[in-house]
Amino acid sequence: MTSFADAASSYIADQSDTATRQVSWAAFCEMGLPTTTDEVWRYAPLNDLDLDQYNVSTRPLSVTDSEFASQLCARAGLVIRVIDGHCLDSGQSLAGVSVSTSNETESLGGDSFFARYEVDTFALLNGALTPATTVITVDPGVVIERPILVLQITNGKSSFARTQIDVGRGSSVTVVEYFEGGHDALVVPLSEYRVADNAQLQLITYQRLAATAWHVARTTGFLQRDARLRQAVIGLGGHYNRSRNDAEFLGTGAENELRTTFLGSSDQVHDFRTHQFHVAARTQSTLLSKGAVADSSRSVYTGLIEIEKGAKRTNARQTNHNLLLSPLAHADSVPNLEIRENDVMCAHASSVGPLDEMQRWYLESRGVRREDAERLMIQGFFNEMLTALPSDFAELVEADITTVLASLNVVAP
Amino acid sequence: MSTLRIQGLRVEVAGQEVLTGFDLTMNSGEVHVIMGPNGSGKSTLAHAISGRPGYKVLEGSVTIDGTELLTLEPSERARLGLLLALQQPLEVPGVRPIDLLAAAGVARNGLADAMRGEAIRVELRPEVLDRFVNVDLSGGERKRAEMVQLGVLKPKFAILDEIDSGLDVDALGAVARRLSAATTEWGCGVLAITHFRRLLNEMTPTKIHVVSGGKVVATGGPELADVLERDGYEPFRSPRH
Repeated sequence: MTSFADAASSYIADQSDTATRQVSWAAFCEMGLPTTTDEVWRYAPLNDLDLDQYNVSTRPLSVTDSEFASQLCARAGLVIRVIDGHCLDSGQSLAGVSVSTSNETESLGGDSFFARYEVDTFALLNGALTPATTVITVDPGVVIERPILVLQITNGKSSFARTQIDVGRGSSVTVVEYFEGGHDALVVPLSEYRVADNAQLQLITYQRLAATAWHVARTTGFLQRDARLRQAVIGLGGHYNRSRNDAEFLGTGAENELRTTFLGSSDQVHDFRTHQFHVAARTQSTLLSKGAVADSSRSVYTGLIEIEKGAKRTNARQTNHNLLLSPLAHADSVPNLEIRENDVMCAHASSVGPLDEMQRWYLESRGVRREDAERLMIQGFFNEMLTALPSDFAELVEADITTVLASLNVVAP
Repeated sequence: MSTLRIQGLRVEVAGQEVLTGFDLTMNSGEVHVIMGPNGSGKSTLAHAISGRPGYKVLEGSVTIDGTELLTLEPSERARLGLLLALQQPLEVPGVRPIDLLAAAGVARNGLADAMRGEAIRVELRPEVLDRFVNVDLSGGERKRAEMVQLGVLKPKFAILDEIDSGLDVDALGAVARRLSAATTEWGCGVLAITHFRRLLNEMTPTKIHVVSGGKVVATGGPELADVLERDGYEPFRSPRH
């Protein structure tokens, strides 16, 4: 056995639900880590991945909030701290919202976690090693004014956080997930969001992990009748940043707007995957992915829109724009459609290229120097993602992104 | 007092020589109007001076107070006091007008108030300036928003490309009044390109230049507009090179 496998086995043996975890662990061991011959892992720097570099975080390492995290906290209605995957009891409360941890094995999609994720090796790893699921439940019929902040901090060498957000009928809430830390760590969060009839969930994931982190995230939204999920995923950190964001449209009239964006620098790889699965009629998905790659970084965007027979009058669109900021950077875009119903509207568009020359000239002709114009335009990507956030939150994140961009090396092709 | 001097300017666009030796000199506080038929090179002049990609200068010179602009980056030209207001101001998603102006070198301190004040002067709802640059703005709002930039940047010379196209009478009046005020407030020189006469109902030009075949073929006072009104451009047409 390897050191990671030893650590995992002893961790699992110490848990109250050993048997369930062992099922996931055994399946993980059988499947093993992916290889680049597997199409969906083709672009991942798997040669750099050695589980023995990591360990299993048996308890959260103590932490003081970073300055940025504190600033976020000051603007939130409720702060939930998840350290190395362990949800801490904050003692805080917010009317209409309950937070708990759970060892339940049921996915918000109705089946078991195991059944749902048994072909996803990293989800299996999460299932075996997550400390517990952090469950955030919003009561039916409430409007939560101030955002709920989930601080996902990795101080140790791994984090297998699992989160479920369950928004009751007719309710409305904004949740900000912030990822930080992860030096030389493996960060594998698995999240599910259920948005009940007529409910609205606004979700912003801001990923600012260390440049040495391996980040493999997966989220799934389950949308019921006339539910609305607006999700923005912003990825800056990680040596490898993989983010799979799925949505299942289970009730008629459900809507999902997903915006993902990333900025690649040095030799980062950003790997974004989406799957919009339209089951019910009159559902709508709008997907916009925009990213920029500098230095020798690369990005992949693979999006699948799947429309089930009977999902009549579905309207699904996906758009992917990639910016090349250096001759060594590379971006791939792979949109896919799988449609089993005739009465639908479906569109996709993608582009890979340098910054829009005319937009840049327009800014320059006002007196903005070329470099500053390019930074403004790249920052613009992120600003578009933040428009739905309360302005005090958005300003903070924007300023943080500005700092990151200031050190970015842009080479005009 | 500043002087904008265009001498012997020849410009090629997509392999075609569109400006064939353009000359024009103007001073601070003056209003010059360039008129001419479609395809005479009016807009090319505006874009070439501000360094738009795809506009190749073959020969000639454009100076402000003796400093050559044509060898400078577009942003440096702007910083020397040149502002181009476009016929169709471009959308720049994700970029806010206030950040654009700050990046153009305007101090942030007091900038938001200055923008609001300028918006009110051209009857633009100040909230419109919270949107990204020109995104979700009507044609009229875009041109008013460009006047906000002008009011904040206070250029020595403003070049307005087809400023009156797509504007209703109210919007044209608001834009023209702002420009007229700029000529006295800080001595802004205004070079307005148009092929409609109605701008002249709102502003009194110092000079009118008739352009044909890529060069100025006649220059005169406001009375030249009456001649154009009566006879059209035909008598001014010069043979193409």
